Amino acid sequence: MRNSLYVFHKLCVNITPGRWPSLLLQNRLYAKYFPDFFQNPIFRKEDQAKLIENNELSKYTTVPVLPPSASETSMHFDPLVNKVINHIMKDGNKKLARSLLEKAFENVKRKQIERYHLAKTPEQKAKIELDPKNILHKAVENSKPMLQLLPIKRGGITYQVPGPITEHRSLFLAIKWLLEATTEKERTVHFPEQFAWEIMDAANNTGKVVKRKQDLHRLCEANRAYAHYRWQ
Amino acid sequence: MLSRNLRIACRRYSQSVTTFRTSEISPAQQNSNQIGLFYTLDNDLCKQLYGHGGLPKCFLKQTKTFTETTFMIRQPALEIIECIKATDFNKPAIRYVLHGEEGTGKSMTIAHLLHYAHQEGFLIIHVPWVSNWLRRVSRYKEMANSLTKEGFVDIPLDAAAWLLHFKTQNQHLLKSGELKVSKDYEWSKREKTPAGSTLLELIEHGIVRVKYACDVVDTLLHEVKLLSNTKQCKTFVAIDGYNGFFNPLTNLHTPTKKKVAPEEVTLTASFLELTKNDWTNGVMLLSTDAIAHPEYEQESYLPKYLLYRKGFDHIDPFVPIEVSNYTEKEFMTCASYYRDRLWLRGSPDIEKELKITSAHNPYRFMELCAPL
Repeated sequence: MRNSLYVFHKLCVNITPGRWPSLLLQNRLYAKYFPDFFQNPIFRKEDQAKLIENNELSKYTTVPVLPPSASETSMHFDPLVNKVINHIMKDGNKKLARSLLEKAFENVKRKQIERYHLAKTPEQKAKIELDPKNILHKAVENSKPMLQLLPIKRGGITYQVPGPITEHRSLFLAIKWLLEATTEKERTVHFPEQFAWEIMDAANNTGKVVKRKQDLHRLCEANRAYAHYRWQ
Repeated sequence: MLSRNLRIACRRYSQSVTTFRTSEISPAQQNSNQIGLFYTLDNDLCKQLYGHGGLPKCFLKQTKTFTETTFMIRQPALEIIECIKATDFNKPAIRYVLHGEEGTGKSMTIAHLLHYAHQEGFLIIHVPWVSNWLRRVSRYKEMANSLTKEGFVDIPLDAAAWLLHFKTQNQHLLKSGELKVSKDYEWSKREKTPAGSTLLELIEHGIVRVKYACDVVDTLLHEVKLLSNTKQCKTFVAIDGYNGFFNPLTNLHTPTKKKVAPEEVTLTASFLELTKNDWTNGVMLLSTDAIAHPEYEQESYLPKYLLYRKGFDHIDPFVPIEVSNYTEKEFMTCASYYRDRLWLRGSPDIEKELKITSAHNPYRFMELCAPL
């Protein structure tokens, strides 16, 4: 059944839009290399071990699998890093976005290694986080808001009503704020340099982004009285 | 079977981890057993030899992060050291030409050999990067028509900076005052350098009176040749990016907006004169680099392509020395050195991937490690 649908898809793609407009409205207008029922590959050793442990491996033996993309198969691949790269990206220029983030990571690493060498006691040295990827994770974690304000109209007045936020949106806001804080810079300072400072600050629970998050929380606290408008 | 392989792999890995440094800090004593190992340079010596250029910018950054300057002992440098040791210095000076792909370590080999030359008491004539003179046009680049040579262009500030570089590199030889000028040189009505004054005085004149810096460089190189011929000093010439002298055009232009060819610059003429083998008691180490070539995408990194016919004929009997990518052993010691300096962390499997993605290229390897 699915296969036949796929063929139908393909047919639709080949047809010029002028002839069957009504049919095409429901379908994609671009060709797709693999049909939807192809599964994403599971190539990480840890993930495979988990499958074997849960006896789920037999499920995947008969399913057609997509080839993995080149960047995903790298040892250093990290989904969050990839997400941030996609947020930095403009006009689909991923190569540039990736190089910018990598330079920022390099700056972070140089600073941290320098601090490491300056630290005197082994305890101080142990405290210093040297992995820029971990620092980014920490920074994003620290800048994620827990609440949000929603504009809700009641009796002709729009109230800013505090409410819970989804995991997905809070991640989005954290990355967005980090990037917005980075672009507020002197013209002579380059993006990687500023972004390095921002994530190091945020990982430290200081800086512009964490303040912005706290401000939002404070506002939510202040607007607590409107909370019932969410359901009334 | 598997456990045996694993054991062998473990042993190999642990061996490479333990030995990546050598205590042999004198380049003359280094031998082929130490290939791939790192030796540390003294900070004061670094400042003296490479203070005004000589180490690539990216490497300088590394030295700051690693809080030390270390060179890897590699085959090309050892080969040249052996050649120099076996050279008969009564014969015309031999020219060694370093060539190789981008990022394989040509400049680092030159830096290593400068250390050797310094220890062996050579007079060092070192040009850190030819294209800095001919292609980098900063806002304050000063140009003037030559007073002494018709139709030539002077770049006095660069020449003066180079004189300072020469002075700091050879301060111990110049201070002794044994190297003397052979004849009178008259710069203007009131300024002249009489015969018998030391080279240091000549250089000081060039630095103080920047107007005459290019002429001073020309004279200095001429005098050094004479001194070497008379066995008063032995000379080590090292020029990085030598093929820059033979490019069709430079980025310089005269006030009338006419583009300048490299052979119309006085410094080029002086250094081309120096690299002829009409003098004895010296060593010449030149490097041809694809980055110094004007075309963006070069077809080849080999000297014949980069030097053009003209340059190739100019240095024709020369010893070509290829600087190639890391060997397996060099790569492993480099990786363990990076691990020691915290530049690389994580599981040992990362090396496997980096080995493939960098294709054993030293510069690529360093770059790829940077964001990890």
